Amino acid sequence: MNTKITTAAGGLALLATMSVVTSAQEPPTQIMVRSQEAFLAAGNDMVARITMKLINKAGKERLRDLTMLRRDLEIGNQKYFMYFHQPADVRAMTFMVWKYPGRDDDRWVFVPAIKLVRRIAADDSRSSFVGSDFTYDDISGRDIELDRHTLLKEEAVGGTPCYVIESVPTSGSASEYGRKLSWIAKDSWLPLKEEYYDRRAQLARVFTADEVQTIGGHPTVMRRTMRDVKRAHRTEVAFESVRYDVGLTEALFAERYLREPPAEWIR
Amino acid sequence: MTRLVTWAMNRPRTAIAFAVLLTLAFLIPFPFVVIDTDPENMLEADQPDRVFYTQVKEDFGIYDMIVVGVTDARGIFRPDTLVRLDRIAEAIVAIDGVVVEDVLSLSTTDNVTADGDTLTVARIMEDPPATEADAASLREVVLGNAMFREKLVSLDGAGAAFYVPIERKDQSHRIAQEIESVLARELSDEQRSYIAGLPVAEDTFGHEMFVQMAITAPLAMGVIFILMLLMFRKVSLIVPPMVIAMLSVVWAMGALIGLGFTVHIMSSMIPVFLMPIAVLDSVHILSEFNDRYPRIGDRRRTIQAVMQELHRPMLYTSLTSAAGFASLMLAPIPPVRVFGAFVALGILVAWVLTITLIPASIMLTREDTLQARVGARPAGRPMLDRWLPSVGRFAFAGSGRIIGAALLLLVVGLAGLSQVVVNDNPVKWFKPQHPIRVADDAMNRLFGGTYMADVIVEGTADETIKRPDVMAFIDRLQTHLEEHPLVGKTTSIVDVVKRVNYVVHGEQPAYDAVPATGEEIGQYLFLFLSSGDPNDLDNFVDYDYRRSNIWVQMKQGDNQDIETLEGVVAAFLRNNPLPPGIELRWSGLTYINKVWQDLMVTGMRNAILGGFAAVFILMVILFRSFRLALISMLPLTFSIVLSYGALGWVGKDYDMPIAVCSSLALGLSIDFAIHFVQRFRRKYAETGDLSVVNAYMFGEPGRAIARNALVIVVGFLPLVLATLTPYVTVGVFFAVLMAISAMTTLLLLPALLRVAAPAPSGQLQSL
Repeated sequence: MNTKITTAAGGLALLATMSVVTSAQEPPTQIMVRSQEAFLAAGNDMVARITMKLINKAGKERLRDLTMLRRDLEIGNQKYFMYFHQPADVRAMTFMVWKYPGRDDDRWVFVPAIKLVRRIAADDSRSSFVGSDFTYDDISGRDIELDRHTLLKEEAVGGTPCYVIESVPTSGSASEYGRKLSWIAKDSWLPLKEEYYDRRAQLARVFTADEVQTIGGHPTVMRRTMRDVKRAHRTEVAFESVRYDVGLTEALFAERYLREPPAEWIR
Repeated sequence: MTRLVTWAMNRPRTAIAFAVLLTLAFLIPFPFVVIDTDPENMLEADQPDRVFYTQVKEDFGIYDMIVVGVTDARGIFRPDTLVRLDRIAEAIVAIDGVVVEDVLSLSTTDNVTADGDTLTVARIMEDPPATEADAASLREVVLGNAMFREKLVSLDGAGAAFYVPIERKDQSHRIAQEIESVLARELSDEQRSYIAGLPVAEDTFGHEMFVQMAITAPLAMGVIFILMLLMFRKVSLIVPPMVIAMLSVVWAMGALIGLGFTVHIMSSMIPVFLMPIAVLDSVHILSEFNDRYPRIGDRRRTIQAVMQELHRPMLYTSLTSAAGFASLMLAPIPPVRVFGAFVALGILVAWVLTITLIPASIMLTREDTLQARVGARPAGRPMLDRWLPSVGRFAFAGSGRIIGAALLLLVVGLAGLSQVVVNDNPVKWFKPQHPIRVADDAMNRLFGGTYMADVIVEGTADETIKRPDVMAFIDRLQTHLEEHPLVGKTTSIVDVVKRVNYVVHGEQPAYDAVPATGEEIGQYLFLFLSSGDPNDLDNFVDYDYRRSNIWVQMKQGDNQDIETLEGVVAAFLRNNPLPPGIELRWSGLTYINKVWQDLMVTGMRNAILGGFAAVFILMVILFRSFRLALISMLPLTFSIVLSYGALGWVGKDYDMPIAVCSSLALGLSIDFAIHFVQRFRRKYAETGDLSVVNAYMFGEPGRAIARNALVIVVGFLPLVLATLTPYVTVGVFFAVLMAISAMTTLLLLPALLRVAAPAPSGQLQSL
């Protein structure tokens, strides 16, 4: 099992590789690195049962119920495995994502009705995660060097002091938004709120961390919501039975397990 | 009434000041005018099809659409042109009011393709290709995909389309203009561009409507002014009628705006309708005054004599005209009701203003000036004088033949009436050379169609739409629809499912089909949701998979065309019974236009019948004789039957403006008859000799009628110059209506009265 590189070292290592950043000591970028680590890569691995409620303008709901396995390799390099319990007609569909720093993820999907695995190539910054208001970038983390980060101010969210960071895509990087504001908790480094503005500078999406619990020493966002302001559509996500550092092996994240999900982890 | 007239004659300045003051009051609401060009508002807010359409738009996130086309004679698949198209797409999504996520174009729409085991989801044109070879392979990709060809790119590859949904329809004119400036900036001489779509036509119509009002209404005034100057010679005599016409318009429009009504396409026509009508009573007074003044030689006594003669016919003609328009208030179409009510109001205003201000203004004209201009000239105009009496003699002598010919014409008219075709299309409210029509023609030749309709598949349970039998049915229906020449393209959730099926199976043609199991369908949809923009699916299916939408692009958008398609679907259903648990229902803007059109026809017909009855009752009261009342209804009946019958024979569609004309005909055609019959009766009671009465009728009364007919026909003719066809239609059609009505009055009425007039005894003599 790989020992995990410490957050600070990881951040520095990443910063060192970035050509666009002129001052390596610039705190906002480091804050974002720490935040992504705490939010999306806590522990060496994680298992969770996740329910997503997709709620449209009229208040109608679609449900997604899945088990997610995650294993971290190094900073920005992770593997995900997802098994869908619901909706009923997609039961046993599985997704696998290999996330890399600096390029689009590799994704595979197993379609049980035809027993075929297909690799999917798509733009992470704008492809929806299973029809929700989250993009793949939101789930696995957008590469930090694709944006230029600025510390705007400090402000409390629900009593928790936060850094407010503005992220603007560097020219040429693919992005659905023109600007993003993140409220990063000073204590846990978790993003408590995010606002995404489209290219016409209109508020497009709002993320909120609605409930945080510390599990196995890792502050974890247990309930979160992403709102699409213009469509008046939102996705409410609840994490249950979260476990960290359970010892997932890298071998689990292979095509063969898409077809035969590891029963040990999928319940 | 006589007291009012006497007061105005005694205190002419007070009367005029009073009118001016009131007019100023009616001007106050004008700055608060709200324009409404949305044909949807032709339907009541709770009309079932409208409610359903609103629901459909809500459920599927459907917006009204502007369709932009760019053509390049050398084909669009060249690096240079594709770069331009890409920049245009980028500029379009930056325009305020555009629904960014639903814009369809090469640069904004996703394509799912297979490459071995990999499914690639990307914009059709992620970046414009740099080389000719790349451009050529893009061409193959696009034209090879049934979801794109003839929709995003024309079959020959010479044109590309952008489908631009807009948040609000009343923004379409502005957005279209912004798109136009983008196109002007980005395109070279080698490309041509077009902007089409119903919302643009509708909103542009609203803008041009005001230009037309500003041009045609004054033009009509000018023409009427010149005509009256020829008739009455003295400017100071004809200025008052013109002013009265304008004041009536101000009062009616001021009241309309002040009471919180919007100015709709219909109500924008109020000034044009009101002006010629408002001068009618004035023409009668002036005509009579001109004829009598030389004999009497005193302005006060002349007016008194004229008003004595005319007050009853003027009251009744105003009442009947108002009743004709008020009958529109029975129509089930809100803007038509508003139109009818306020034209009726304007007519009554014009009547009050005429009987006060005309005498007042004559009193203010110096007697010696009147003597010089009116008194000195021979009574009547030579031309009218020469032919009117011979018309009278002809009508009197040939009464039998005239009645026979009239009956024959009536039969011909009724036969034509049975062939009248009800049809309309807001795009055709523009003349054929208008850029909107040109764009419409070009776009519908190149692409799937700019007229949008929707067939909604409604299931009785959740998940119904995912059923394989339902999907297969929708697929067959789409195929069937696309075989019809009116339909360019259809798109539904089934196309999405078929596309995913095809792609996951490595693009084998056999899998370009609806899958056999519900599981497959569910998983393909899930796969689609997981790779692209979930919005793309929301446009075609609701959240519960209970209701789905087949987007039908039509190449023509006449009401008849959508009726044809309704028939096509109905016929399809006879051979292909619906799977259990679903129903079909039409919706979409093109369909909605048809719905209000249907309501308009039946509504107008009922309103006219109601108005006809009301006018008949008024006639019975006026003449206290059924026989005279029936005779007086004839010019009206003739003009309606003959002119609408002519529509049938000529093949002109019965559309919105034509429908409105019928109320005008009802209100105005009766005028001539009232004047004719009323004065005929008075003279008949006086002399008891039909031939003497006839000769008299073709003197002063005949002149007044002929003059009025001329004023109306000529007054409406400037509308022919309008760039918007509804105005042209009203101008031409109304001239025809009035001409027939005047001819019936001057030929058929004397003939009939000779044969059928009640003896001048009893009731008649008692008058």
